[in-house]
Amino acid sequence: MAAAPVAEAAAPGSAPRTSAAGGIPTSGWILALVLLLMPTFASDFFLVQVFGWAFVLGTIALSLQFLAGYGGMVSLVQMTVAGFAGYMVAILGTSGLAQISLGWPFWLAVPTAIALAVLFGTLSGALAVRTAGIYTIMITLAIAAAFFYFTRQNETVFGGFLGFNGVRAPVFWGIDWRAPVPFYYLCLAWAAIAWGLVVWVVRAPFGLALQGIRDNPRRMAALGFDVTAHRIAAYAFAAFLAAPAGILLTWLNGQIAPGTVGIGPVIDVLVIAVIGGLGRPIGPFVGALLYVLLRIFAMDLLVALGLSGQRFQLVIGLGFLLTVLFSPDGILGLWERHIRPRLAGERGGGR
Amino acid sequence: MAVAIAERLSATGQVNALELRGVTKYFGALAALSDVTLSVRPGERRAILGSNGAGKTTLLNCITGDFLPTSGTIRFFGEDITYFPAHERIRRGLRRTYQISLLFGGLSVLDNVYLACLGVSRGRFSLLRPRRDDPLLESARALVHAVHLDEVADKKVAELAHGQQRQLELALALAGAPRFLLLDEPAAGLSPAERAELVAILNGLPAHIGYVIIEHDMDVALRVVESVTLMHEGRIFKEGTPAEIEADPEVQELYLGHGHGA
Amino acid sequence: MARVGLGSATAEGDRNRLAVWIEHHPLAAVVLAAAIVFLLWLVFADWPEEFERWAGRKRVFVSALLNGITLGGLYFLVAAGFSLIFGLMRNVNLAHGSLYLFGGYLGYATVQATGSWLPAFLVAFVLVALAGLLLQVLVFRHMEGEELRQTLVTIGLSIVFADLMLWVWGGDFYQIPTPDWLAGPVELPIVLDVRPNGEAVYLRYPRVRLVIFAASVVLGLLLWLIVNKTRIGTLIRAGVDDREMLAASAVPVQLLFALVFAFGAGLAGMAGVVGGTFQSLSPGEDTRFLLASLVVVIVGGMGSIPGAALGALLIGLAEQFGSVYLPTYAIVFSFLIMVLVLAFRPQGLLSLR
Repeated sequence: MAAAPVAEAAAPGSAPRTSAAGGIPTSGWILALVLLLMPTFASDFFLVQVFGWAFVLGTIALSLQFLAGYGGMVSLVQMTVAGFAGYMVAILGTSGLAQISLGWPFWLAVPTAIALAVLFGTLSGALAVRTAGIYTIMITLAIAAAFFYFTRQNETVFGGFLGFNGVRAPVFWGIDWRAPVPFYYLCLAWAAIAWGLVVWVVRAPFGLALQGIRDNPRRMAALGFDVTAHRIAAYAFAAFLAAPAGILLTWLNGQIAPGTVGIGPVIDVLVIAVIGGLGRPIGPFVGALLYVLLRIFAMDLLVALGLSGQRFQLVIGLGFLLTVLFSPDGILGLWERHIRPRLAGERGGGR
Repeated sequence: MAVAIAERLSATGQVNALELRGVTKYFGALAALSDVTLSVRPGERRAILGSNGAGKTTLLNCITGDFLPTSGTIRFFGEDITYFPAHERIRRGLRRTYQISLLFGGLSVLDNVYLACLGVSRGRFSLLRPRRDDPLLESARALVHAVHLDEVADKKVAELAHGQQRQLELALALAGAPRFLLLDEPAAGLSPAERAELVAILNGLPAHIGYVIIEHDMDVALRVVESVTLMHEGRIFKEGTPAEIEADPEVQELYLGHGHGA
Repeated sequence: MARVGLGSATAEGDRNRLAVWIEHHPLAAVVLAAAIVFLLWLVFADWPEEFERWAGRKRVFVSALLNGITLGGLYFLVAAGFSLIFGLMRNVNLAHGSLYLFGGYLGYATVQATGSWLPAFLVAFVLVALAGLLLQVLVFRHMEGEELRQTLVTIGLSIVFADLMLWVWGGDFYQIPTPDWLAGPVELPIVLDVRPNGEAVYLRYPRVRLVIFAASVVLGLLLWLIVNKTRIGTLIRAGVDDREMLAASAVPVQLLFALVFAFGAGLAGMAGVVGGTFQSLSPGEDTRFLLASLVVVIVGGMGSIPGAALGALLIGLAEQFGSVYLPTYAIVFSFLIMVLVLAFRPQGLLSLR
């Protein structure tokens, strides 16, 4: 078939029977504990601008990883779906653009925005699955670009070039969710839920079927699976992961504008997912953390190297290029293949 | 006129499992199938023989919906399925095996069969993981048993011997409630012992399940069917019982060469 | 597997196909013919006042039409190379927009250095073709058959190229000056209005745009002839239809791939000079033209030269008419065309699959 398996390293859906007993390794518990206790030692800047941002971007990239790694469909529309949700929250809820925003309460605006974004993602998917393989990238990129240009041109609904500012997280249960610590937990919670959902779904019948379709769509059709319907459903599920992340991103920035859904950010999400590794759902978060750290500290790094601080895109592009060329399964793949065996070897040799 | 009456008859009275009328398939200017008309009763077991390029696999592909025929109609238990998508045909009880094994090599034997059972169940989109006593898993285990693969049920398919993979192909085709099978050279590449096993499995199938089998090995083919159709260059040119076909001098000349028992 | 049509083998075949199409779609043929007649009327007739009140001024319409057609010519130049490369090598080169912008900058530098316009095309073609050759030899040759990886690599390359060009040329807008012999308008035999004294007002249109459009038409025809009438074209078509056959014959496949890649890249480079004269060069134009190429080939059909021409024309017209009559929703037009094509003919309008 036209599409090569995206990530050879991706563990094909493990047996439904064996998965139940899997269990979480010690390192996983330690990671969870560190993330939960983070606010006790990290500064507000780190909580929101580093980890909050990384969780949000990681979740959007996770929705791409799910489609690419398990469905064999590299969709570039995920950032657009997230941005769409952000726009919907700004339009339906409150923002600085009072003449457009409808001012709905958050408990109505947020679920509606998510539902609309899922609809948007599903329709985009329905369009993209009309052709398979390498066309997916092109079509989803075209959809993303169309939405970007549309938001930039449209003043009446999408606020044109400037978009919406003053879009803030709500206050409820007596908690101000825009304060750093609650917001950190909000981002962490959705990232963890999204990660858990993916881990769960890929071992459920639906996920198993999706991976079968990735590897051999013709055979799956001959087993009675509606290949197209499964692919579209995968887009819907991915949109459901990305949409809340898009709302969080909008609250994090306090605004949503065409720049959020531009070609640059759309490609960045792909870069994050690929650099982290398309094989496993934790990959996008690794990629996102790296991206965010680079984004924040690249200036100092570049200047230290004697380059202009403006060459951030060059660093990102080269990093991406090197990853694709030399470690197609990302940093996680590099870790699994080279570093972990060596560590294990040394430990084994010491005994 | 005659066709219309025949259609009405087949729609009400004795319905054929498979009813092909004037099925023609062109690839560019090349006619892979020319005016193929064929009917198979429910439970009937039929071999389609012919040299390479006679159009046998193309015929199967048209029946399962891998290709759409250029013209003609295909009915399955009276229903016109000519333009149905592949998965809709499968859900109506049609099954096939492939000449080259198309299996999920990274999954275990049981998971492969589980997928096949899932494909014809209502739980295809389920987001809930199956429990230990899931009925689909139960039926998957039963199928693995039916094709004599219990011992390797948890092995990855890629690690299986060729013969075992062919048996698994068959298990996938038997998932759900099959009414009719299309078997594309199930004996290809099998050892004599494995062939005997295959013949045993085929003859052990429930009597209501009919099949069409494409097979080069006459020893296998003629021992598992009650009727034979011969194809040549995309056309049907002879039908009969295995005994008639075996005795036919023209057939001897064309396909069986010198002594088919070799 | 996608079969890609590069046009039919003979002109006669084309005529027959048209006849067959009309036979099969009589209603569509009538509607199409009526639309063509109406369009001709729109262009050449003196619009009645009633009509002008309803549809706006004729000058606006005709300008949008010509702008759309000439923009289509530019899109065709960019998309043809993209489509050709994909058709033969199944290689989605998402750095194609970078090649376009690179060509434009090179052309600008050449014009600055030599003071004349035509050498810019030669320099842009040769140097960008060389860049394409390097890409093919150094990158794609090592990833044969790995479509996704190739695509990702080209995305990475386009990020890197974009930043390198930003480094060298900065964020300014550049416009390549139109040479004197092409500057100024030309009067076309299209009546815009008839003055009360009986004097007709004719449309005046920039000469350079017409010349460039004519050149792109000539180039397109040439491409079509090369692909359909020459030995190398036969090889390319054979490669598109059946790569194994190509590999089995005694053809130096890698050389053919390298040549086509270089040629497609060179076309994009030349298009950059055209775009720099028509419009302007700046960071972001690479993405814009990459996207235009994507939409054009999705609409027209991958790997098909006539398809690229039709797609480019449709998208150029959609953009221009959109921006004149419905500026807020201009982008939606091109997108709608793409959606409709994907919904009803996912392989593209002029694909032979």
